Amino acid sequence: MPQTASTGAKPAVLVIEDERALAEEIRYELQAEGYPVALADTRAEGLRVARAGGAAVLVIDRMLNHEDGLSILEALREEGNPTPILVISALSTVDDRIRGLKAGGDDYLVKPFELRELTARIEALSRRIPDSRATRLRAGPLEMDLVERSVRRGDRRVDLLPREFKLLEYFMRRPNQIVTRAMLLEDVWNYKFLPETNVVDVHIGNLRRKIDAGGEPRLIVNVRAAGFKLNADD
Amino acid sequence: MQTTDVLKSRAFRLSLAFALAIAAAATVVFTLIYLQFSAASEQMVAARLTDEATRALNESDGELRAQITQRLASDLRRLDYAGLFDPNGALLLGGPASLPSIRPDGRPHLVASGPVRDAGRPDQAIFVAVRRADGSILVLGRSLSEIDDLRGTVARSLALALAPTTILILVIGAFFARRAQRRLGSIHAAIAEIMKGDLKQRLPVTSEVDELDRVARGVNLMLDEIWRLLDQLRHIGDDIAHDLRTPLAVARAKIERGLERGSTIGELRAAMAEALVHLDRSAATISAFLRVSAMESDRRERSFGPVDLSAVCAGLFEFYEPLAQSKSVVIALAAPRSTLARGDEDLLREAISNLVDNAIKFTPEGGRVLIAAAAADGRATVEVSDSGCGVPPQDREDIFRRFYRGARDGAAPGYGLGLSIVAAVAKLHGFCLTVDDNGPGARFVLRGESLQLDSDEAARDIGAAPPKRSKASA
Repeated sequence: MPQTASTGAKPAVLVIEDERALAEEIRYELQAEGYPVALADTRAEGLRVARAGGAAVLVIDRMLNHEDGLSILEALREEGNPTPILVISALSTVDDRIRGLKAGGDDYLVKPFELRELTARIEALSRRIPDSRATRLRAGPLEMDLVERSVRRGDRRVDLLPREFKLLEYFMRRPNQIVTRAMLLEDVWNYKFLPETNVVDVHIGNLRRKIDAGGEPRLIVNVRAAGFKLNADD
Repeated sequence: MQTTDVLKSRAFRLSLAFALAIAAAATVVFTLIYLQFSAASEQMVAARLTDEATRALNESDGELRAQITQRLASDLRRLDYAGLFDPNGALLLGGPASLPSIRPDGRPHLVASGPVRDAGRPDQAIFVAVRRADGSILVLGRSLSEIDDLRGTVARSLALALAPTTILILVIGAFFARRAQRRLGSIHAAIAEIMKGDLKQRLPVTSEVDELDRVARGVNLMLDEIWRLLDQLRHIGDDIAHDLRTPLAVARAKIERGLERGSTIGELRAAMAEALVHLDRSAATISAFLRVSAMESDRRERSFGPVDLSAVCAGLFEFYEPLAQSKSVVIALAAPRSTLARGDEDLLREAISNLVDNAIKFTPEGGRVLIAAAAADGRATVEVSDSGCGVPPQDREDIFRRFYRGARDGAAPGYGLGLSIVAAVAKLHGFCLTVDDNGPGARFVLRGESLQLDSDEAARDIGAAPPKRSKASA
C-alpha cells in the first residue's frame, strides 16, 4: 500500500489518456503516492492543460482515440516546453520506442505496465539528477569518489567490482527514490529485455553484502512489488 | 454483353484509331496521285496544242483547211476542236460554233464553261488561238472530259479501297474487344466472389499464354500465398487463444474463489496476488506474440550491423554469473576469439540471454552451464549447454513453436515464451537454431554465417576490443 510521502509535497502530474478506466487507476495510484493529478482525455484538452503550466510531469498515451499522442509532444517541444514527458503505449517494438523518444519523450512505458513501475518512472522524471559533473556523490553514510572509483561507508572502505560500482552509482544518484528492475536493466546494463529469472535481485544481493557489513542497517531496501530504494536519510 | 461495352473497350478504340489513321494516310496518297496526274495530263494536252498551233501558222490556207477537216474526221470520240474563224469571229470551218473568248496569243487557255456536248455535263477544254497573216483566227482545242473521267476513276478507287479496309479493321477490333471483354467479365466475376470472402476462388486462365493469362496466373499465385498465410494465422490465432485463455481462466477462477470463499483480507489478498501472476503471464504472452509477429513480418535489416557474438556472450556471462553462483551452478565461458556475424545486437543478446536464463533455470544445484562462441569455416556458432533435465527427443522441434509449453514447464514457468523469441530472432537473422542431447542436459546451438572483416574494420565497427578470455567460476 502507499508509501508515506518521504519529503515534502510531490509535483503535479497531468495524465493525457482517453481510456477512462486506466486513467482513473493511474490517478488513484499517483494520488495514493501523494501526487496531485489532473486528467485529460483528448489531444486538444491535453495540450490546453499542458500549455497552462502547473504540471511538473506529463504522462501521454501514444494513441488517443485515433489521435496521435506523439503530436502533443512534438507541439510542446516545438514551443520550447521542457516538462518531462512519459509516453505510454501499446506499441512495443524498438522502432516505436525510438520514435516516441525522438518526438521528445523522456521515457517510454509499454502497456500493460505495473502501476508501481509507472510511479517509479514519474518519480525519476520529476527529480533532477544531481549535477553529473560532480566527482563525489554522497548518500546517507555512503560516499563515492567518481575519479578514484572508490566507495566508503562511514570510515570503512568498500571494494566493488566495476559493475557493482556502476550499480551503486545509479542508486546514489537517485537517493530515496524507487528504482525498478526494468530501470536498472535499461540504464545500468543497457539491456532492453526483462529476464525471467531474478538475476537483478542477485546482483543487488551481492552489492548489499558488500556495503552492509556486520550489523549495519540495510541501505538498499526492497520495495514490495516495485523494486529497490537506497535509504539516504541519516 | 452490351454493345456499348464493346464500343467503349480499349481494343475497339485502338482499332478505330488505327482505321482512321489508315484512311487518312490513304487519302493523302491518293490525293497526291490525283493532283499529279491531273496536272501532268493537262500540261501534256496544252503543250501539244501550242505546238500544233505554232506549226499551223506556216501552212498555206488550203493545206490548213485540209488538215482541219482530216483532224476532225479522225477524231471519233469527238474530243478535239479545230476551227477557222474570219477576222470578225465568224466560223469559216470546223468548230466550235462560236469563237471562244480568248486572246489569239498562241498560249493555252482553260475554258471553264465550254460548250455542252454530253447531256448535262459541263465540259472543260483547253483552247489555243492564233491569228494568221491574213487576219483569220485558228482555234485548236481538246476537251478535258477524258481526263475528268480518269480523275473520277481514281477517286472512286480510293473510296472503294478505303471503305472495306476501314470496315475490316473495325470488325476485327470489335472481335478482339469482345473476346477481351468476355475474359475480363469472367475475371471480374471471380474477383467479385473473392471480394465477397471466397478466398478459395481463383481467376480463370486459358490455355494461351498472353498478358492477361500471365497476370491471372500471377494473381492466383498471390491468392495461394494469402490463403496460406491466412491459414497459418488462423492456427496461430488458435494457439494464442489457448495460451491466453488458460492464464485468464486461472486468474478468473482465483478471483472468483476469493470473492466466494475469502472471508479475511489476507485470503482475498492471496487470491488477488495469485490472479495477478496469471494476468501478468497472459500480458507477457501477448507481448511475446506481438514481438515474434513483428519480427516475422518485418524483414527489414535496417539495424543490422557487425556483432561480436563472443563479446555478447562475455557480457551475458558476467550478467548471469552471480545468479548461477547463488544457485550453486558452475557457469563457464568459452569465447577466446571474436565471433563476428551480421545482425541486430540487442535482439541477438536477448536471444542468447533467454537460452542462458533457461539453462540456469533448468539446471539443478551443482550442475554446469557452458556458454561458448566460436567462428570456424565461415560459420559463427553460439552454444549454450547445461547439465539439467534436457529436452526429450519428441519435444525437440515443438519447443521452438510459438508459446509451446513442455512438460518441464510445470516446475519453472516461462520456457515457451523465451524459446519462441529465440526462434524468431534466429529466423530473422537466417540463423539455424537446434537443440540436442548434452548427456545429460540440453545443448542449444545457434549457428549462422560468420562475418569476415579485417581486424581494423572489426574493431572500428564494433567499438570494443574482442574479449580474450576463457574463465569459469563456481
